Amino acid sequence: MNDHFQEKFIEEAKELVSGLEEALLLLEDNPDDTKHIEEVFRVMHTLKGSGAMFGMNEISEFTHNLESLYVFVKEQQIPVTKQLLDLTLDSVDHIKVLLSQKIDKGTLSNGLELSGKILQHIKNAGIEVLQDSESSDILPDKVREQDKIIDQQKSVATFYILFKPGKEILRDGTNPLYLLDELSTMGSTYIFRHSDNVPTFRKIDPALCYTFWEILMATGNVIDDIHDVFLFVEDVSTIEILKIADCNILDNSDFIRKAESLFVEGEAMSKAILKNISEELIVLPGKLQSKPVDKAVIPVSETGKKDNHKKENITIKQQPEAYENRGISSIRVSSDKIDNLMNNISELVIVQARLSLLADKMNQPDLSQISESVEKLSRQLRDNVFNISLVPVKNLVARYKRLVRDLSKELGKEIDFFTEGTETALDKNIIESLTDPLLHIFRNSIDHGIEDIETREKIGKPEKGKITLKAYYSGSEVHIAVEDDGGGIDINKIKEKAVNKGIIKAGASPGEKEILNLIFLPGFSTASKVTGVSGRGVGMDVVMRKIKDIRGNVEIDTEVGKGTTITIKLPLTLSIIDGLLVSVADSLYVLPISVVDKIFPVKHKELQDSFNNIIVLDGGQILFIYLRSEFVIGGEAPVYEQVVVVRHGEQKVGLVVDAVIREYQAVLKPVGSHYKDQDFFSGATILGDGSIALILDTNRIVSKFTNDNQ
Amino acid sequence: MINNNIKDMAKTIMFVEDSESVREAVKFTLEKAGYNVILGTDGSDALKYLENPDIDLVLTDLYMPNMDGIGLIKEIRKSKNHKHVPILFLTTETHKHKKIEAREAGATGWIVKPFVPEKLITTIRKVLR
Repeated sequence: MNDHFQEKFIEEAKELVSGLEEALLLLEDNPDDTKHIEEVFRVMHTLKGSGAMFGMNEISEFTHNLESLYVFVKEQQIPVTKQLLDLTLDSVDHIKVLLSQKIDKGTLSNGLELSGKILQHIKNAGIEVLQDSESSDILPDKVREQDKIIDQQKSVATFYILFKPGKEILRDGTNPLYLLDELSTMGSTYIFRHSDNVPTFRKIDPALCYTFWEILMATGNVIDDIHDVFLFVEDVSTIEILKIADCNILDNSDFIRKAESLFVEGEAMSKAILKNISEELIVLPGKLQSKPVDKAVIPVSETGKKDNHKKENITIKQQPEAYENRGISSIRVSSDKIDNLMNNISELVIVQARLSLLADKMNQPDLSQISESVEKLSRQLRDNVFNISLVPVKNLVARYKRLVRDLSKELGKEIDFFTEGTETALDKNIIESLTDPLLHIFRNSIDHGIEDIETREKIGKPEKGKITLKAYYSGSEVHIAVEDDGGGIDINKIKEKAVNKGIIKAGASPGEKEILNLIFLPGFSTASKVTGVSGRGVGMDVVMRKIKDIRGNVEIDTEVGKGTTITIKLPLTLSIIDGLLVSVADSLYVLPISVVDKIFPVKHKELQDSFNNIIVLDGGQILFIYLRSEFVIGGEAPVYEQVVVVRHGEQKVGLVVDAVIREYQAVLKPVGSHYKDQDFFSGATILGDGSIALILDTNRIVSKFTNDNQ
Repeated sequence: MINNNIKDMAKTIMFVEDSESVREAVKFTLEKAGYNVILGTDGSDALKYLENPDIDLVLTDLYMPNMDGIGLIKEIRKSKNHKHVPILFLTTETHKHKKIEAREAGATGWIVKPFVPEKLITTIRKVLR
């Protein structure tokens, strides 16, 4: 864990400890007050838990004993005595030393002695102390882990698993299908579903689970690992796990056929018979040698979502020791090759869409199955290649560091440059398009943001200014922020200027955000003097345009005298998006699914009768945009239309369409140059039947619409 | 590492914990894994977020001032919006009885403290995916 967090923890722990001292002293005055005991216990609990989290094991190990002691105090098995409090206060002093991180031999032996006293105190109360397992557990755990890994490569076994979830299982948020998914990441699975008990639609209670499953699984994992999958549901479900063969018998088609014949809807199959069948089939030892699980042939369920981390471990362990360090862990590939790969995948996605369309039309189960598998695979392939083409923001840092250094020197300012979260990764094409906009932003910050040394001194700011480049994920976006501790942007100044330029009327009182956004207008500059560096007003509008080109957005936060933060919000990737296919009359459109919040069917009449394009949905007023009229599409609207509620910053806005068709993986293709002035679409995509759907840029539509309406 | 499935990313997790440093560290970890994070400082503080319909998972400590984790779990299960939201709680090996108590109150599962970030994310994915 990050050092920054450790520091923070130490700071907080110091506060906690002083609170603890106070609570102990209060406890001394009122030994029966359970409130103080609770408080003491809670602090110890936090110290222990957080200590270990932040790598301060001495603290967590030491507090562990102390916490155990207070468990008994809490349960009134050990009375609050002066002796107890003395011991606790001594321990608190010890924790203080540990927190100061000036640990020497004396501290450690003191700690051991105190721990001994604490355990003795518990014993004296006549309580059996279990051997402290916490600290000694660490090593065996690791050893066990390794054993597992060795086990895994040694033997693949086949298990029968009965998973009969309790009826109420859905109520506490468990999705049993995820558990099946997890099982299939452990090896190859063959799943029988019993769904006859599902009542008819009229009678079904959607909060109850009526289905159960039987699973045959070949895996290198041990039975405990399988139990672990069901860890959270074990007490409310029936789980039976039985090893039926010491090899991967799922490879054997005879076995599968016989197992299938055993299957009776609604009844668990006989494990004895199953085991018998498997034993019969394994007559010749060696014929069914265990194979690495990954090569098992029956991928009935998806086995792709492997825990990469685990898998890495296994492969490394399988290599002989001597070769361990020789493996090539990464290779350099030219970015053209990745672009090509990306293009291929885009094509694949389009072809796959055609395939699923065909499969739907032909209505042949075999074909549908293949088409579904292809869809799954292409989705995985897409995600994997996305990951390859991601580049950390770190790659940008060096040049800005240099910029800050050189420019601040030139301007006679002193500025420290910090970075945060630079391991955040983005599509490399986006990174490339970011260079110039960021350069503008940095220049602005250095030139206009950070004050010169004298001014800073005068207003009591540290001599050195500070600029921070931050990157972080937020939902399906990446945010990149440039934060300075300079003079901030004076909103009144902008307003004044806007009035002078005739952009806003003298009497108007727009909101702060709106005023700030004026900066993005072409030819708008508030700097009182134009320098060689910036201030000619050719900055922010270009920044905004370039960021919009890559489907991003720019936001400004500022406080006069404190500083400015400019945040660039970007999509994770440029070329393929998960979308929602919708229609208005005969035209099809795709909305990025990441912005979709909810969908409501609403009567056309209701929309027609609404005032100011506002309807009440889900208990709240929602502004809606009627795409049929916005896009000037004629024709009759259906009786029921769909309001797709999309997020736009803090705001939620409804887009009214005729119908929502389905989710759709859309490959973004640029629209031709005829449409370059068209703001509403970020591109187009080709559908399975060869027709075209336009991809809506909801951000622009919403901002255009809301501006027009003001 | 970023999450493979882009749609996963918009999931929102409410994390309730009284220790500021743990809150921040876990927030960092979760955000890095692509989740949106809402933070509550204790049970009663967290209640105010229950009006928010966009919570996909609740992660809560058990020992907190004002309202403890068990109390919070019970409240969530009574709430209109989040009756069925998955709830994971943090517990230590020494509090086995707490595990039962929390389970009875309606929790989905637990994460054993102290935890390492990777483990946290794996467990969350187990429930959320």
